[in-house]
Amino acid sequence: MHFEELRNQFAILKDQLKKQEIVSDHLLRETMKAKKRNINSTKRMCYACVVIALGLTPLNYHLQTWSLPFSIVTCLMMLFCAVATYYIHKPVDDLNFLTDDFATVARVMAKFKKQYDQWLYYVTPVICIPWISWAFYEYAWKRAPEGVSPWFMCIPLVFGLIIGLIIGLYFHFKAVNAAQDIIDQIDEQ
Amino acid sequence: MKQEEYFTQLVREHKSTIYTVCYMFSQDEDEVNDLFQETLINMWKGIDSFREESKISTWIYRVALNTCLLQERKKKKEVKKVPLTMDVNFFQDDDANAAQVRMLHQRIGKLGLVDRALVMMWLEGMSYDEIGAVMGISSQNVGVKLFRIKEQMKKM
Repeated sequence: MHFEELRNQFAILKDQLKKQEIVSDHLLRETMKAKKRNINSTKRMCYACVVIALGLTPLNYHLQTWSLPFSIVTCLMMLFCAVATYYIHKPVDDLNFLTDDFATVARVMAKFKKQYDQWLYYVTPVICIPWISWAFYEYAWKRAPEGVSPWFMCIPLVFGLIIGLIIGLYFHFKAVNAAQDIIDQIDEQ
Repeated sequence: MKQEEYFTQLVREHKSTIYTVCYMFSQDEDEVNDLFQETLINMWKGIDSFREESKISTWIYRVALNTCLLQERKKKKEVKKVPLTMDVNFFQDDDANAAQVRMLHQRIGKLGLVDRALVMMWLEGMSYDEIGAVMGISSQNVGVKLFRIKEQMKKM
């Protein structure tokens, strides 16, 4: 391929464009009406869960569903999750996807994805397995009425667990896949 | 000068640069139109974040390229589509100039997205430092990448 020819073709393109108006007042007016979008649905979902859980936990304690230690630990765990979410999302929030350079965007997204994966594979089991076990004990074994098997009492908890797992994994992979898409776009080569 | 006036002037001055980037990343006229409008929206949203230490042309190139590279194709468009005011259609017109431009589009279109961006800026006559500032890489790295792309293009 002759690069001189490529340059000539590019010059033709620029020359042709110079003669064109391209931008109308109408287009500019429509553009300036646009509002900023917030794409961070996973973070919003996490904060909403924390707020709901922080509200419901004392209520459950009041209704004597959970013990005081379990309620306190649950609230602390929720606050820890909120702080961790803020910490993981902050570099992405600070990033300006449109004006920061590609290398910065790719680096921040790679770190975000890594932290999300670490959270899923290491932190979540360490926190969730003991907490869920405790919740089963509190709800089923401590509260089972006489003549009712604790295993039967576990059924609503299992349903809740499955629904929570599906929602959590959906939002996790939504965030991770979005980050990976951006990394792939930049590292396409 | 009011921000709206400044933005309007900026867009009118750099319209051909914005169009060129959008054209090179599009497959048809509608897509150019969408990308062009999306780029203007992103420029408008980001105009406050423009820092005077970089050249405005570098900033515009970065916004246009980021829009083309990172846009989520399926996301809902929040503004009414307004057609571009153009008398030529590089995808369809039969005259010699349009044919030359189409040939350029085809050649550059064979490259990957990032390589395409690098070649476009090189053809635009930007310095390695300016290209590096847009891409977030060193000027030496720009030189290496461009050399590799040119070698690759020679074989096409």
